[in-house]
Amino acid sequence: MRQFFPVDDLARDERFVQTNMAKRMADSRSAVGVKKSAKSRGASNRLTPDRHDASEAARSLMHGIMVGEIQALEGAGRTAHDFAAGDGSGDTIPFELKLDMARQAWDEARHVEISAKLSDWMGTELGQFSENTVLFEAACSNDPVLRLAGVNRALEGLAIDVFTQMKEFGQLAGDPFLEFCEDWMLADEVTHVKMGSDWLRKVTENDPDRRAKALEFQQVVDKLFSFGGARGDSDESPIGLARRFRELAGFTDDEVDTIAEMDHDALEERKAAVRLAQEAAGV
Amino acid sequence: MSTIAVTPERFTLVAYDADRIAEITRGLAERLQLTNPIVIEVDERTPLGKMSASVDSASSDATIRLQLESGALEDTKNLTNFSDTRAHLSLGRLLLRASDRLRDDFADAPPDRDLTNAQNTAWKVYCGGRLERLGLAPIQQQYRYDFRNRFGFRDDVDTLFDRLWASENLGWHDLPG
Ligand SMILES: [Fe+2]
Ligand SMILES: [Fe+2]
Repeated sequence: MRQFFPVDDLARDERFVQTNMAKRMADSRSAVGVKKSAKSRGASNRLTPDRHDASEAARSLMHGIMVGEIQALEGAGRTAHDFAAGDGSGDTIPFELKLDMARQAWDEARHVEISAKLSDWMGTELGQFSENTVLFEAACSNDPVLRLAGVNRALEGLAIDVFTQMKEFGQLAGDPFLEFCEDWMLADEVTHVKMGSDWLRKVTENDPDRRAKALEFQQVVDKLFSFGGARGDSDESPIGLARRFRELAGFTDDEVDTIAEMDHDALEERKAAVRLAQEAAGV
Repeated sequence: MSTIAVTPERFTLVAYDADRIAEITRGLAERLQLTNPIVIEVDERTPLGKMSASVDSASSDATIRLQLESGALEDTKNLTNFSDTRAHLSLGRLLLRASDRLRDDFADAPPDRDLTNAQNTAWKVYCGGRLERLGLAPIQQQYRYDFRNRFGFRDDVDTLFDRLWASENLGWHDLPG
């Protein structure tokens, strides 16, 4: 079986259309107020049922979760397969880490099924929205430790934020399935982050440079996964930062504060970019 | 035949064509036997999909004004690109709303901006059933989910949904909200 699968080779049927971060950021429209005036700042975009477009926004996010689960399954599966078993030095990984990745792949497969069923329940057709492959891109590093940082800490951390938001949405809307399905998946994601944190620490125990490099990579990925501030502490972000569940998953307060700052920066940078593009277009 | 004006005439942030929007609207207006002048304003600065319909009087020659954020016409598989299917459903719904507003028994309906989420959704469902009978293909489960979100996830709410979906010739006070 092939090792190190590039993102372009992911197998999808004709229902799915893929996109990436560059295309997404080239879209010069914005759902948040981009003007510098005080009035346009701080309007709430949080994904809650009282939004006028709540169901449509929830469908779009749910579809994003579903394809995200497919990519998380692919990422964990690749990591279990791509590296030889060894002592963790070079490009080997401990056998127990492979077992954890296999277990994660099993969880993600279940999440794909749950998310597909939830999408159906909400009236979404599979492939109805474009699939951003940025999540899998974080799982393409040749260094297994960078994969742990990019996938198990950044991607799975984002999953914690998104599931917390959707769980709350289901609870407020009184949706009898959404709330508890999200809760079940959330419990798994907390475990996936914890596995990443524990293995990252263990494998880099005697290699501080490698650890520093991995944490640096995680920051880059975290900022990318903010999707231009779509995730963040501010109410302008549709998805909040789930501080409590991140804490349970082993993120320190400092780490979460750093992510919150990056989310804020990503939001402001995105607003500035959209402002410039719209001014240039004369709209 | 309706006169139809679309702004902007040229889109810069999305790949939409004002002529195509006018053409789809003309076809739908003919099927609904609407001959009023129609003004369409698309806000291409936002990807959101809010939309509204108003009429400047209740007379038969009133001007119909349709306002849409760009997301209401968008192909969700290829963002910033136009979707004919989506445009038919969005513009069809707005024209049905406008034709409702021209009826005496919709005189009490508040302007779109003042509708509650529940009123807005109930009206949307009433339009959805009619769009299906016009030969378009709204996904009923989406409308059902929206309706449940506003009115509750219960059997009696589903029954009410089914009745609304199958209805024709309702007045404003027949809609729940
Ligand atoms: Fe998952
Ligand atoms: Fe996961």
